[in-house]
Amino acid sequence: MNGKTALITGASSGFGREFAKLFAQDGYNLVLVARSEEILHQISDELTQAHGIQVTVLAKDLGQAEAADQIYLECQRSGIQVNVLVNDAGLSEHGKFVESDLRKELDTIQVNVTSLVYLTKLFLRDMVARNEGKILQVGSVLSLIPTPLMAVYGGTKAFVLSFSEALQNELNDTNVTLTVLMPGAADTDFFNKAGAEHTKVYQDTELSRPEDVARDGYQALMKGAPRVVSGFKNKLQAASAVVLPGSMMAATMRDMMEPYDPDAEHRKKLRQYTVAGVVAAGLLTWLAWGRNRTSDWN
Amino acid sequence: MKTNGQTALITGASSGIGYELTKLFAQDGYNLVLVSRNTDRLNEIATEFQRQYGLEKVTVVGADLAQPETPQRVYDEVQGQGITVNVLVNDAGFGEYGLFATETDLQKELAMIQTNVTALVHLTKLFLKDMTTRNEGKVLMLASVVSVLPNPLMAVYGATKAFILSFSEALRNELNNTKITVTALLPGATNTDFFNRAGSVGTRAHEQAMKTDAAGVARDGYEALMSGKDKVVSGMMNKAQVAMSRVMPDPLVTATVRKQMERSSNGNGQHEMGQKKQLATSGSLVGAVVILGIVAWAYYNKARYTDFKLSDIKL
Repeated sequence: MNGKTALITGASSGFGREFAKLFAQDGYNLVLVARSEEILHQISDELTQAHGIQVTVLAKDLGQAEAADQIYLECQRSGIQVNVLVNDAGLSEHGKFVESDLRKELDTIQVNVTSLVYLTKLFLRDMVARNEGKILQVGSVLSLIPTPLMAVYGGTKAFVLSFSEALQNELNDTNVTLTVLMPGAADTDFFNKAGAEHTKVYQDTELSRPEDVARDGYQALMKGAPRVVSGFKNKLQAASAVVLPGSMMAATMRDMMEPYDPDAEHRKKLRQYTVAGVVAAGLLTWLAWGRNRTSDWN
Repeated sequence: MKTNGQTALITGASSGIGYELTKLFAQDGYNLVLVSRNTDRLNEIATEFQRQYGLEKVTVVGADLAQPETPQRVYDEVQGQGITVNVLVNDAGFGEYGLFATETDLQKELAMIQTNVTALVHLTKLFLKDMTTRNEGKVLMLASVVSVLPNPLMAVYGATKAFILSFSEALRNELNNTKITVTALLPGATNTDFFNRAGSVGTRAHEQAMKTDAAGVARDGYEALMSGKDKVVSGMMNKAQVAMSRVMPDPLVTATVRKQMERSSNGNGQHEMGQKKQLATSGSLVGAVVILGIVAWAYYNKARYTDFKLSDIKL
């Protein structure tokens, strides 16, 4: 035990659950927040036994406006000082905006944006007063890329990055650090909850493993790095978002968010291979011809 | 002046860029639905424009978009009167100035998220659905240059604007095959009540704003909206700043905005020094990279040209 406490939202699954394990391994006490009390207790039992740490379970729905305040008050009441805040909880809704479910999107804004700002405010205030503390915000590569068919979700992640970068500047003179983790598509419950399991990105791309993403985030957080994009492919994508126009990035993302059609993908790949073949053949011919010409000169 | 039979709904119509946009629609003969908390001011504007431009119908909805039920109320009111909204202008928005951890008011920031983000999404949902059914319509979103520049001392405000731009660009793509267009207007600091309401009077950004007329910004937005453009940055300096933000490292971009956000005559000399040092360091870093690039380029060319012999092209 190191005597410090980490509070993790969205701790019942995905990255959040992996974060809980990493903190527990390093001897942090934990405050675990998620909607499902049952799963949280299960995780709590496992980690308490394995690492002899103290775990507090708070079953709260961050889609509720009062949840953030309640979480803070519960910590106060139990005399828990939060040294590390991990804002991991998030949700999404897949579909064209004119067809998607407004209630779910309003919930998405409440969880991904409003509750995140609210929790950050309450715990950061105390951290700045102590001049000690760390915050991890879970952004996304979509923080940089407009996201058709998940327009609100992409917007919330753009919010998280902008908000975090502004705070990093404001915290320059303090010992409090804030880190943004930007994952790409990962193999978590996210796609299922968003109704997006049929999409190309979920069906036909290599998904990151949640434990790898969490480890990247954890290491960056411990170093106090401003941000980390998890995964090589996602780093490339994030880099291209800096140079390419938003509309082009949006079009690429649209393609990934469309339903996966194996036949169409197969045809597309065949087309791509044909084009590549023709280009390669052309190149070879040109090289051969060029070489002949060069040898003529001698 | 006669009406053109179309209706524009404008939120935040009582002042600033919203008011100037309203005037432009009125001049072109649009019927109006005006939304703002300031019902008295809206009624004045309605009477004035109706008389001046001979508009058929101006509807006033006095409502606070920081209240979650307002978007549905606005929609129901418009529906109840049988009005078809052809143009939706999501202009309403406000900021809050200060250090997030210690100075700014959380309740104001929550109300800001509700107004700038949630109400905007909600209104867009309600009216865009009807536009899609008709396959006709235009939406203008008030983004900002801070949509692409993190905004220290207005951290939440900048983030709400980042949301709006991302959201608008995604919608724009989703509506590709329709006749509906979504346009984002990105103004810089503009001479409106914004600074007063945010508590940021006296900052460098505010000084800058005094020189930028809301009418000009509204005109840029109106023209982009009418020609169906995806986005427009208003003003040369703002265009330059947005372009620069793509090549400069984020912390430098953020530090530059921070400088603009600070009060020009603050006694925080030490902090100022830190900022200057940081700027100078980053500036010289960028300079060094550029010089290195030029040297490498020259060297590469020299190598190419010195190897080059006339006999090579003797065919």
